[in-house]
Amino acid sequence: MSKEALAARQGALKEAMKSENVEVLVLFGNNWHADHLRYATDFGIQEGQGIALVRDDGSITLILDDPAECERARSDSTCETIFAPALVQEAKRQLSRAGNHNIAAAPYHLLPYGLLHGDKDLRVTDGAKIVERLLMTKMEVEIAAVRKAAALADEGYAIFRQAARPGRKDYELVAEMESFFRANGVPENFMIVGVGGQEVRGMAPPGGKILKKGDMVTTELTPCFDGYYAQICRTLVVGEPSEAQRQAFAVYLEAMEAGIATVRAGVTAADVARAENDVFRKYGLGEYVTSEYTRVRGHGMGLFPDQKPAILEDVNITLQTGMTLIVHPNTYHPAVGYLVLGDSLVVRESGHELLCGTPRELFSVPLQ
Amino acid sequence: MRRGLMAWDPQEVPASALADRLARLRAELAREGVDVFVAYTNIARGGSVWWLTGFTPYWNEGLLYAPAQGEMVFATALSKRVAEWISSVMPAGEVTTTPRPSAFIGEHIARDGAKRIGILELDDFPAGHAQAILQAAPGVELVDVTEAFARARNDSDAVERLLLTKADALAQAACGAVDVSSAHARDFIAPAESVARLGGAEECFTLVAGDLRSSRAFVRTDSMGSLGETFAARVSLAYKGAWTRHVRSFAKDAGVQQSMDRAHAALMDFSLQSGETLAQAVARTFGSLGEVNNWVAEQPRGSYPLAPVANMAESAQGFTASAPFVLDVELVTDGRRWVGARMIGL
Repeated sequence: MSKEALAARQGALKEAMKSENVEVLVLFGNNWHADHLRYATDFGIQEGQGIALVRDDGSITLILDDPAECERARSDSTCETIFAPALVQEAKRQLSRAGNHNIAAAPYHLLPYGLLHGDKDLRVTDGAKIVERLLMTKMEVEIAAVRKAAALADEGYAIFRQAARPGRKDYELVAEMESFFRANGVPENFMIVGVGGQEVRGMAPPGGKILKKGDMVTTELTPCFDGYYAQICRTLVVGEPSEAQRQAFAVYLEAMEAGIATVRAGVTAADVARAENDVFRKYGLGEYVTSEYTRVRGHGMGLFPDQKPAILEDVNITLQTGMTLIVHPNTYHPAVGYLVLGDSLVVRESGHELLCGTPRELFSVPLQ
Repeated sequence: MRRGLMAWDPQEVPASALADRLARLRAELAREGVDVFVAYTNIARGGSVWWLTGFTPYWNEGLLYAPAQGEMVFATALSKRVAEWISSVMPAGEVTTTPRPSAFIGEHIARDGAKRIGILELDDFPAGHAQAILQAAPGVELVDVTEAFARARNDSDAVERLLLTKADALAQAACGAVDVSSAHARDFIAPAESVARLGGAEECFTLVAGDLRSSRAFVRTDSMGSLGETFAARVSLAYKGAWTRHVRSFAKDAGVQQSMDRAHAALMDFSLQSGETLAQAVARTFGSLGEVNNWVAEQPRGSYPLAPVANMAESAQGFTASAPFVLDVELVTDGRRWVGARMIGL
């Protein structure tokens, strides 16, 4: 990302630290939860673990426990970077050297045990209050990156549709997607798939299923640009969709559009989920919006592909301008199996900005 | 984020092999007076739980609990619907999905009456999970059993070697598929990704050092630019959870490429002879080609699928000569930097 954009992020972090009277912020990350570390350093960690020490004077030290990652960080990031196979010990040493500061850390529950316990316990408080709001509510420069990621998701889905044909294995579709994304500069993509019919209860990594006539093929693609993720969920049918598949899809389309129409600053995540779920309930499918059949009805996205707020009827986080979300009423349908549909968007003052441009269709791919 | 092929083939990974591994671990834990074992896993630190169960979570995190006797328990925050799928690809252990996996494991520990809880890599164990275990099982003692785990895993068994052999073949094929005629590093490396995943790689990291004259840092596709006169591809991949790396250097000039190929051939011929140290073997293999700038050996270590275990400065930080390892070498040959890596000892 541009130096200006990173500076804006680091400035926002510094302000948030100041308002919470925090002198050192400890940010922990790995390839699963890379978001906190990336926010401060712009380094997208791939292997091993890392800790960034963000000080109130604006200086940042990045400590990594993998030597090749350290070389990459020195090439990619402007932060002081230290290679330390004993990550926790090095972080403790750095923090002890800095004296008895007000230290906060995030994500707190993932913080290494050894950093908080040992010969001389450090007093570290939960820094969620400092970081979470920044991760959820994006600046325009961050939204621009999510917008580009959404465009890549659209392009990616077009490739996915071309790749899906009878006789191919599910992981071969992933191979085409990943090759396309690498060629287009996308280093990471969260992607799961489902192939089959009524027996399919959800999506998972591919297991070697061979696509055949009548199968529904579901996927969520989640490429990133400059570290920011955007997602698209679509379903296609191998051959012509059956009437049952068309009727089922119509419910999901109505639910997604009801959810998206609800999105604006000031409503809660629960309001959006309720709008989606009411459509299912209207058609007698209320059972299928419970945790037996579905996880969430959408979620936030940003430097983490599945961040707060979860779109659920019991989540009362208020949506704010600048949040980026996907609304997806993905769930099991008793007649046809697991079906997905979802678009990424930005929450705006009086509504939303839609980021995905792929038609909201139940796609069909030819048998030949 | 695992998104490649994830499937369990009982021919490749028999449940009995995993039972043998668990028995070895239990024997080591018993020697240390530890009652039960807990290991943490996620996509970055999946090595230990994979070794015991054959499974790495494609996303999110999990905890594996091995009581003194009986079935292991894998608790994960992945959603409820995923449990059935995990069971289908994880040949050992019972699966539970719960928003609070550590509390669930803590309750198991309390029920089992265990007192000394062996934690793999206690220093690195997520503090939130440690706290939840201590709350659910008050009075227990958390003990670091990283060394006991290392002793149990000391060598690679036949099952692991088979998977590594397949992974190594895939990584070599992927590196061989790069498009050397490309102007841009992204186009150069994209075919490697395709070959790896078409071959069944569960995960694949493809990186490029775009201009070896200026740097040997391997970067991801979002940082790549055009290719220099000499450049290199780095493919790290997992096949059914077994990780390897392969690095290969290339040149635009055919004459320079010959020089790169000579070094690559030496790497492919590399072997560790009886009684020889790694440093001696590196010197013997590459000494006639130029000056060795650096070398690193990597092997699985605890929850890390691959981690440095020896390098040019410190020849042995935990290197096991009898187990396969990835050797990464950097040398200057014919006045140019060359880098290469491959799995040795299969």
